Parts: sequence; C-alpha cells; structure tokens
Amino acid sequence: MTPPDKAATRRRPRTSGKLRAVALMLPPALILFSLFVIAPLLNAGYYSLFHWNGYGTPQDFVGLRNYERAFDHSIFWVSVRNTVVLLLVSIFIQMPIALALALAIYRKTPTNAVFRLIFFLPFILAEIAAGLIWSFVFDGNTGLVAEITQALGIPPVFILSNRDWAFYAICLVVVWKYFGFHMMIYIAALQAVPSELIEAARIEGAKRWAVIRHVLIPHIRPAIVVSGFFAVIGSLQLFDLVIPLTNGGPSNQTHTIVSYLYTFGLTRLNIGYGSAVGVILFVAAVIVAVLYQWQLNRERAK
Amino acid sequence: MTEVRLSRIRKVFGAVEIFADLSLTVPEGSFTVLVGPSGCGKSTLLRMIAGLEEPTEGRIEIGGRDVTDAEPSDRGISMVFQSYALFPHMTVAQNIDFGLRLAKVPAAERERRVAQAAQILDLERYLDRKPAALSGGQRQRVAIGRSIVRNPAVFLFDEPLSNLDAALRNQMRVELAELHNRLDATMIYVTHDQVEAMTLADQIVVMNAGRIEQVGSPSELYERPATTFVARFIGSPRMNLLEGAVAAEHGAAICGIRPEHLTLTEDGPWAGTVTVAEYLGNETVIHVQSDLGDLIVRQPGQVRLAAGTPIRLTPDLSQIHRFDAEGKRL
Amino acid sequence: MSRSNFLLGLAKVVVLLLCAGFVLGPIIATVLGGFKSTGDLRTNPLGLPKVRETQFYLDLITDPAFWRYMGNSLVISLAAVGLTLIVAAAAAYVFAQIRFFGSRFLLSYLLLGLVFPFATAILPLFITVRDLGLLDTYWAVILPQAAFGLSLAILLFKTFFDQLPRELFEAAYVEGCGYIRFFWRFTLPLSTPILATVGVFVFVQSWNNFLLPLIVLNSREVFTWPLGMMQFRGEYLTEWNRTLAFISLTLVPAIVFFLAAQRYIVAGLTGGAVKG
Repeated sequence: MTPPDKAATRRRPRTSGKLRAVALMLPPALILFSLFVIAPLLNAGYYSLFHWNGYGTPQDFVGLRNYERAFDHSIFWVSVRNTVVLLLVSIFIQMPIALALALAIYRKTPTNAVFRLIFFLPFILAEIAAGLIWSFVFDGNTGLVAEITQALGIPPVFILSNRDWAFYAICLVVVWKYFGFHMMIYIAALQAVPSELIEAARIEGAKRWAVIRHVLIPHIRPAIVVSGFFAVIGSLQLFDLVIPLTNGGPSNQTHTIVSYLYTFGLTRLNIGYGSAVGVILFVAAVIVAVLYQWQLNRERAK
Repeated sequence: MTEVRLSRIRKVFGAVEIFADLSLTVPEGSFTVLVGPSGCGKSTLLRMIAGLEEPTEGRIEIGGRDVTDAEPSDRGISMVFQSYALFPHMTVAQNIDFGLRLAKVPAAERERRVAQAAQILDLERYLDRKPAALSGGQRQRVAIGRSIVRNPAVFLFDEPLSNLDAALRNQMRVELAELHNRLDATMIYVTHDQVEAMTLADQIVVMNAGRIEQVGSPSELYERPATTFVARFIGSPRMNLLEGAVAAEHGAAICGIRPEHLTLTEDGPWAGTVTVAEYLGNETVIHVQSDLGDLIVRQPGQVRLAAGTPIRLTPDLSQIHRFDAEGKRL
Repeated sequence: MSRSNFLLGLAKVVVLLLCAGFVLGPIIATVLGGFKSTGDLRTNPLGLPKVRETQFYLDLITDPAFWRYMGNSLVISLAAVGLTLIVAAAAAYVFAQIRFFGSRFLLSYLLLGLVFPFATAILPLFITVRDLGLLDTYWAVILPQAAFGLSLAILLFKTFFDQLPRELFEAAYVEGCGYIRFFWRFTLPLSTPILATVGVFVFVQSWNNFLLPLIVLNSREVFTWPLGMMQFRGEYLTEWNRTLAFISLTLVPAIVFFLAAQRYIVAGLTGGAVKG
C-alpha cells in the first residue's frame, strides 16, 4: 500500500467498510419482509377489488362490491360481534382476574413460584391442543360437563352445539389459556416496584388495600396498558382455538373475524372476498395500534 | 415525652444473628446519629424503630409507650429514605399530603399544613410538579416535607444525603440542623459518614458488627474514644494506633495519637522517612514510615517535603490514648 | 389483627387452589383420558382409569406418522429460528451501528410488522407461496414465519445492541477490526441473552402455529403436528381416548421445553412487553 494522500486512505476504508456492511447485512431482512409481509398486504388491497378464485390473474374487477358484500353478510356481523364480546371478556374479566392473582403471588416465595408456574402453563400449550382439550371437557357425552349432568341426573348438555352459549364457552377457554400471560406481565412489573415506596406508604399509614390502590396499581399502569393492547390484538386474531372447539358452528354462530375470513375466503376460494375481509381486519388493527400509541404518549406526557 | 428506648433487642434473619442483646436510649429532643461501617446493623436498627422490621426479642418504646407490635403508622414517627421513596405518579403536593389524606384530615387543614411545609422547605414553586421533574436536592426536600406535615414526635432518616453531590450534601446538612432547631423533635439519623455524624449530632451511637461500641457527644467520642474501633472510625485522617514497645512504655497494649498531636521537630524522639506529603490548602497531611509503624501527621499550612526525606517527630504526651489488648480504653 | 390476617391468608390459599384446579383439571383429565377405554371414558371421564389401557399411547409411539409430524415441526421450527436470528440480528446491527441516509425510514418500514395480525394477508400470502412453487414444502412455512417474526426480533435486537458500550466497537476498530467481523466476533457473542429470548419465542410460535401450515401444506408427508393432530381427531371422531393420548404426548415436549427455557420466556414477556 502506498499512501499518496493520508486523509483519503484514512477515510476511504471506513466508508467502504460501512457500505459493504450495509449492502450485505440489510437486504436479506428487507427482501424477506417485503416478499412475505408487505407484498401480500398490498396484494390484499388489490385482490379485494376483484372477484377472483385464485387461478390465473384477477380480471373480474368489482370495485368495492366485496366490501359491500361483507357488510351485508349477517355472519360477518356475527363474527364482529363475537370479536367484540371476546374483547370485553378479555379486558373486563380476564385482566382483573390476572391482576388479582398477580397481586396475590408476586412476592418471591417457593409456593408462589409453584402457583406462577401452574397459572402460566396453559399459555405455553398450543392453541390447537388447548382447543381439543376443552372440546373434550365440554363434550356432553364424555367430558366434565357430562360428569356434572350425570351427577345432577339431567340429560346431557352439548354446550358447544348451543347457538347461544357456544361462544361464551370459547371465551372461557380464552380466559383459561391467556390469563397467565397477563398475570406474568403484571408480576414482572410488581416485582420492579421499589420496596422503599411500599414502606414509605406504610409509614404514612397506608394499609394493605391503600398500598395496592395508591402505590402498586399506579406504578404498574404501563404494564396494564401493554397487557390491554395484547388482549385487544389477541381478540382480533383469535382463530386456532375456534377450529377444534366449534369450527365456527353451530350454524356459523361462533366465528371470529379470522375464522370467518378462512371459512368464507379460503375454503371457498373467494380470494377477492377473503382479501377484503383481511383489509377490514387490517384497518381495525391499525386503529388499535394508533389508539395504543396515543395512550402511550399520554402516559409519557403525564 | 418522646424518648425512644430499645431494651434487650435481639434480631435474627434466618440463621444470621444481627443483634444479640442491644439496648439504647435516645433522649427526647436529641439529634442522635447512628454511625458505623456498612453491614453493622444501623439501618436494621432504624427500621425496627420504624416498625418495618420486627425484633425477634426485646422491647421498643416511643414516648413511654410500648410499640413493639404496633403498625409503623401508629408509632408517631416519620421516615426519610435513602432513595427518597417519592410516589412517581403524584405531584409534590400529593406526595406531601398522602399520609394526611389516608388519615382523613379535613382538606382545609391539609392545605394549610402542606403550605407551611412547602414554605419551610422552599418548595412553594414546585407543588404541582411530579418528582421526575425535580433535582436531587428538591426531591430530598419533598421527602422531608412528607415527613414533617404529619407532626411526628420522632423523625427517622436513613442515609438521606448519600445520593447527593458533595456541595448539595453540605448545604442540606446545614438545613437539617436548622430544621432540628426549629421543630424541636427527636431525630434519629443513620449514616456511614463520620463527618455528617460529627456535625449534626448531639448524640452519636457508633455501631460495629451488631454491637454498640460507644454512645456519646461528638467531643466525647473524639476526645475519649472507648475502643480502638471508635478511635479509628471517628476523625479524619484517622488516629495513629501503635503496638509493642511504645505502647508498653505508656502502660498499654495499644496506644493511639491523633495526627494533629504529632509535631515535626529537629530532635523529636520518633524517627521516620516521608512517603507522601498531601497539601490540602489549610494543612498538609504527611505519611511517614517509621520504626514504630506507619504514621500520619497533620501540620497546619504548607509543608514542602519530598518523598524519602528523613524527619523526626515529637508526640504530645498529654494526648496519648491508651487501650488494653482487647481494644478497650484504659 | 393477626386473626383477620390469618383468615385473609386462608381465603387467599383457597382461591389460589381453586384457580390451580381450574387450570390443571382439564390437563390432568386429558392425560388420564388417554389411558381409559371408551366405555370407561363415557362413565368416568375425570376420575382415575379403572383399567390402565396403555394401548392408545403405545399405538401412537409406534406410529411412524406421529413421529413424522413431530419431525416436520422440529425441522421447520429450528429453521425458522435460525433464519430469523441471523437475518434480524444482521439488520438490527446495521441500524444500531451505522448511520446512513434513509436508515430511520428503513427501520420504520421493517417495524411495520408489529402493527398488524398475521391473518390479514393470509390469502395473498397463499397465492405468493403457490406462485413461488413452494406449496407443500418446508419453506412454505419457514419463510413467512421468519418474515413475520422479523419486526419484533429487530426491535428487541436493536434495543439490546444500542445498550452495548460504544467504546467496544471503537476499541476494536482502532485495532483494525471491520464492521462485519465485529458483528460475528463481538456483537453476537455478547448478545446471547437476547438471542436466546427471541429464539425461544420464534420457536414456540412456529411449533404451535396452525393457520399458516393449514393453508400452505396439503400433503400429509409434510404435515406439522397440529395439522396431524386435527387429522387424527377427524379419523377417530368417536374415540376420544386416542386423541387425548395424542394431545398428552405433545404436552410433554411443550412442558419440558418451557421448564428448560422458562428464564428466557419470562424475560421476553417482561423486557419485550414493557418496552413495547
């Protein structure tokens, strides 16, 4: 190496090394992400304007007709209603239960560790496995429900085949599956509350409940917001549990938005229609994300 | 009568015994400082007075009332924590009147007391801010404000100044001393900093490994340390402790002399060579290697001495402290 | 005082035990159910089996299809983990280490995936996979799985890399170590906690995934275990005990894996979740 210009040799390798690093290390992520995430998303918007069964190229342009069809379809509204019910159950039943349990067992003791492990267990099971387990439990011939009806001497009840109750049964399974997840988020936040804060509150005269209300809960608010976000997003995309439990039935009364999309879009090869439903779901997710971000900013501003 | 009296306290954490048998009286209205190296039990002792730890055995009285099993809030005490323990989601005003709200004190009365505390602590402009928007010294004042509005009979401080920088620490020290004069309450203060102890206290309790080494006024501790531990711990630079022939000469197993009681003289009885001379402005601290052991000498003003210079020293014989082999004062 | 404390403590324990029963009951009934004859299951769904029938478990363990499902899932999940970690870490490293024109824009682009659910683009994804000729191959699951895992992985990696001391790179750079070598020799080895956390999450997600394989895999040869299990359930509709045995056998690896990787799962939940 002959250095004709000192400044140039000192600078050049630095920039070229940078360039090479950027050129080698960034594209795999960009390509993978664009091809399998962004392109399908944009395609969903495009396909949703066509009547198309997925073969050849989409040609039968129908404008917004697919969206109109969805909004006119009573089953679509059933799936929306179910998703809202699920969301309310998650927020107003599941999260308070998770918080109460987190407050009961957040301290680090051996017994608490065992309870934490037990409560978290359903979360690590596959949705499909959980769904099958509970469809056994709910089975009117052989399950827990059967045991109860037998004991009471009444005819078997098939809750998952009941138009009015089947979806609440699904909600119960959702609570069973996910409350441990929310509980863990709260526990981690509770364990991070400085013990001096609690001691200071006790010296000021705060009893158990006042400590929870004035110190612990305000302190873990960010964790509660995060878990609420997960609850909403989770409700929007519930699918795996529905298939083994009811497969959307009876008479399409237990569809969630995703199982609706799958049943009426893919299994019937209405790619255009299914894409339209996907876009609606996307819009809902974006609204949730924006609200969440807004809430986070508000928290920070406080 | 808000004297605090601890009698025959024993405290065990798991298999570790923190205190075997400890008794202490904090006189009414005193500013008592618990001082000692980390791990000596001073914070545990304070937390027991607060009611945050329970003694395994023994009795705690505050103002003549047995509070051994009382809740912290029923003891008539307040506490300022090392980390200040301010509630981050409440404003300064809400932090200060938190205890009053829990005690259901009427709003007007609360407002009056908060305003008064804010005025004493110069916090009036910050009442609507959250703790995150305050400086360290301001947070410290809020923590103190929270403790004074409840008019406690006893104030407890757990190393309250250790998170502040040196200049602020000096300023807050003066403010605490003023506060004590103004409120006339009993204050118990934990620190590991002997300068804080000397300047603030009218009674110092020196603790070591779960035992009380000595209780006394700052001058008593400085002039008549009861043990070699106290002799070493109080005073900076620390006292020179000598063993062997010199000590025997004075009829003791160990004898001690403070750095300022050694003088550089032409014909002094003790000989040595200088290792380092640290010039501090108003004085010079000279580290000397001698046949008696390493010595520290304090001389007023500037003394220029290169390393390796041979010197001779004269001790002020009236200022020699004598200790037995166990380190007890003779 | 202490009496009411005692009652409160007792009430707490009772509630906790009830909840534990609610959580564990169905799982225990499932495992036991696999040991019961059909008649036994009908009359005694929740109790201990009258005669312990090991037939259903044995049938499954000796069934090559069962092991093929598990093997397919394992290969797919491991590949998805490997691909996500390498690709996301490399990208996150560039964003953390190098300032260049457009880097903020590209980062925001890659983080878009945090916003929307996998399901929204599932039909066009099916078309893409089909047009690439990947249907019924492992890649049909691996590539989209890794792609959808990228956003969160990049976010977590970048946060972690940003916290590594900057002086470390400067010291290595002065010694003549370039960007790419620094990535392999320093960044990755120093990032094992976050690599493990993300790896565990991608693995669990991939192992449990149902919707994606359902759509892109039709041949039983490449079925993952959730598909195999649903297939099995369809074949033995009236014989719950066989399905219960199948479920129980898949619970074992899940629980063992959870106990082994507990630390990372909890770290991911709390670290990732709280930073949002």
